[in-house]
Amino acid sequence: MRRWKWLALVAAAGILASAAAAFGATAHHTAGATLVVDNSFTIKTSDPQRAFDPTASIIDRALYDTLFTYKGGDLANPIPLLVSSWKATNGAKTFTFQLKKNVHFANGTPLTSKDVVFSFNRLVNIKGNPAFLLAGVKVKAAGKYGVVMTSATPDTELPAILANPSTGIVNSALVKAHGGTSAANASTADKAETWLNTPASAGAGSGPYVLKSFSTTSQVVLAPNAKYWGPKKPGFSTVVVRNMIATTQLINVQRGTHEIAIDLAADQATGLQGNSKLHVSLQPSTWVFWLFANNDPKVSSVTSNEQWQQAVRYALDYKSILSVAGPGAIQAPGLIPSMFLGSLPQKDAVKQDVAKAKAALAASGQGSQQVTLQYPSDLTINGVPFTTMAEKVQANLQAEGFNIQLSGSPTSNWLTAYRSGQMAFGLSLWGPDYPDPADYLTFAPGQLVGLRAGWAKGADPAIEKLAAKALVTTNAAQRKAIYQQFQHDLNESGPYFPLMQPTQVFVSTSDLKNAVFNAEYDVDVTQVSPK
Amino acid sequence: MSSLAYGLRARARSSRIPAAWRQPLAIAGTVIAFAWIVIAVFAPLIAPSNPLAQSFPASESPSLHHLFGTDELGRDVLSRVIYGSRVSLPIALALVAIAATIGSIVGAVAGYFRGFVDGILMRSTDLVFAFPPIILAMVVAAVLGRGLFNAALAIVVVAWPSYARIVRGLVLSVGDSEYVQSARLLGASSRRALVRDVLPNVIGPVFVLATLDLANAILLLSGLSFLGLGAQPPQAEWGSMVAEGTQYFQWWWIGTFPGLAIFTVVLAFNFLGDSLRDVFDPRTARRAVESDA
Repeated sequence: MRRWKWLALVAAAGILASAAAAFGATAHHTAGATLVVDNSFTIKTSDPQRAFDPTASIIDRALYDTLFTYKGGDLANPIPLLVSSWKATNGAKTFTFQLKKNVHFANGTPLTSKDVVFSFNRLVNIKGNPAFLLAGVKVKAAGKYGVVMTSATPDTELPAILANPSTGIVNSALVKAHGGTSAANASTADKAETWLNTPASAGAGSGPYVLKSFSTTSQVVLAPNAKYWGPKKPGFSTVVVRNMIATTQLINVQRGTHEIAIDLAADQATGLQGNSKLHVSLQPSTWVFWLFANNDPKVSSVTSNEQWQQAVRYALDYKSILSVAGPGAIQAPGLIPSMFLGSLPQKDAVKQDVAKAKAALAASGQGSQQVTLQYPSDLTINGVPFTTMAEKVQANLQAEGFNIQLSGSPTSNWLTAYRSGQMAFGLSLWGPDYPDPADYLTFAPGQLVGLRAGWAKGADPAIEKLAAKALVTTNAAQRKAIYQQFQHDLNESGPYFPLMQPTQVFVSTSDLKNAVFNAEYDVDVTQVSPK
Repeated sequence: MSSLAYGLRARARSSRIPAAWRQPLAIAGTVIAFAWIVIAVFAPLIAPSNPLAQSFPASESPSLHHLFGTDELGRDVLSRVIYGSRVSLPIALALVAIAATIGSIVGAVAGYFRGFVDGILMRSTDLVFAFPPIILAMVVAAVLGRGLFNAALAIVVVAWPSYARIVRGLVLSVGDSEYVQSARLLGASSRRALVRDVLPNVIGPVFVLATLDLANAILLLSGLSFLGLGAQPPQAEWGSMVAEGTQYFQWWWIGTFPGLAIFTVVLAFNFLGDSLRDVFDPRTARRAVESDA
């Protein structure tokens, strides 16, 4: 009996000790500051060439430098990180990069073109989730610090892609020594993942931080890279990325120091706005909600009717649709989100025009025809449930004389129907694969999304010509103009109706400098420092 | 979901409630049930606004203007709860009537003819009994497709076997009684014996079961709608309203009031069914009288 008592005491002491250890992350900041990032974990690995999840992006951004990166929350302008100069030739099919010569990995080995070639080939050949980023791109070294990348089709978005943490450069010699390979059979032959997920892999990256401990379920801890090559030394002696649900993040960030919460809902965050110890940012997310009307008369003679489409476009009450998402959301002026190059200014957004809508609906002769709006009923993005959104759209359209039925289905079923191109009228969304407007050319006739909306190749030669031109233009100013024109044209006669960008919430304690949300990395911890 | 299934099983079936307390419960049950029926019938007159009308700003907390507050699209929750009764109550009534009819016919045929017919019919009811009701209803509703009609159909599929089993037992015992035997000897047809002699003895227990089942049907229907298989938006249905409420916990009124509506209706029909059983059962009826005296 007495022995049990002792056991209980020991267990209690153990629990206390581990609780103290858990709080240690926030409590100890005497020996240099600790940055705590609270995040609902989505991470399978920290191996950059395998990882393609938001939490992994936070960590890999700190561990592995990329050729390009972004400053603050901006996604429109990739800026060189490992690159000293670069040029695109041959109609954006060939890119030549010159690497900086002073870069070395955390173990002191210089970073050269062979590391870049190894990393990119490893990315493609592992065939993991991020492999598509460089699919079809050939990479070869040109001297010790030159890298040449070529592709069969124009690749204007390459600098943006090369800012993705999955294109982080690993130390080829060290990774090879631990079972890594970039050969064609890397998907089975590469054995470096386990090693990369341990602190022993510290020399594999050239970023400002190295891995101190790694768990996909509780927390990932980073320590400064003592030999960091960059001009700005790491701002914290420890960075802890912890797995927390939103409600716990809400409590933590209010009592924390040097703390960031990423996953709060807009209304949770608005409750914090009066708190002087916190910085609350509610900004448009990169997700775009949009409706489409199938352009194929074989799918629906109603939704393919041009006048009916115009009527939908001008009947929607875009302001009231925003109310579904709460503060911080904006009307999507086009399909390209507001923070990307080539996005339309707010003033160019379609405005509700009831008279125009009614006239168009009457002209279409299809006003009385019942149309079913299909949406994924179990999906919620940035706190906005699709069901609520669909009900809002229905009420908007019914008010102007449309006859709209709703039909929700589980996301997997909805996706099947949507991808088949047989859906007449759908509520959908698009999140960028990489922060470049080229990702949105898929909406052109005959392209992936175009076909889903029944918009076949040749349906609108003017828009297709513009899309083809966008693909080969590399000059940033020209690209901006082309992509804006592309969206103006879509807004005039395309089968899509961009609705809104919901709210991305980002809360940080006000003792942090440069703590901003970045859609590519969630937060770039390498830029954050204590005030 | 698990709590739903649990709720279905844990319905107030027990006779642990002391007999003296039964009458007040019966009265409470009758009053609440009647009130809901009145609300359902006169919904357009009672509801303060159109249950589908959206207003802005949305998600207002309960006030004098909106007694139950407004939901995430600015629709009046009180009006939606009132209109919700027009969905749940009639459908539950109709499908319990259908289930009771189908189950009773199957049970009567099985009990009266016995032998091979009995074997076939009862094994098929056992087959349905083998599945937890909510799971089976979900499967049926999912296969048929979303929508209220299919959800109701799914509940009929789940509900009829209990009637079949009860009626079969009663028919077996009544069929053996001397007056039925004599009627048969006097040349009455099977149909006549079933309708004239057996049916009146069976109707009471079936009626009790049906009243209790009304509560179950409303719960199942709400459950299927909660899971997105029943009523489709924007229709005001209690289960789907509760489901909407779970998306917005910070606005407690969106899910709480439809939840309370389900709660009161289910409780009322349970009270009613329990009391009816006491009335129809000669033993408990006598006991109730004795304890009253």
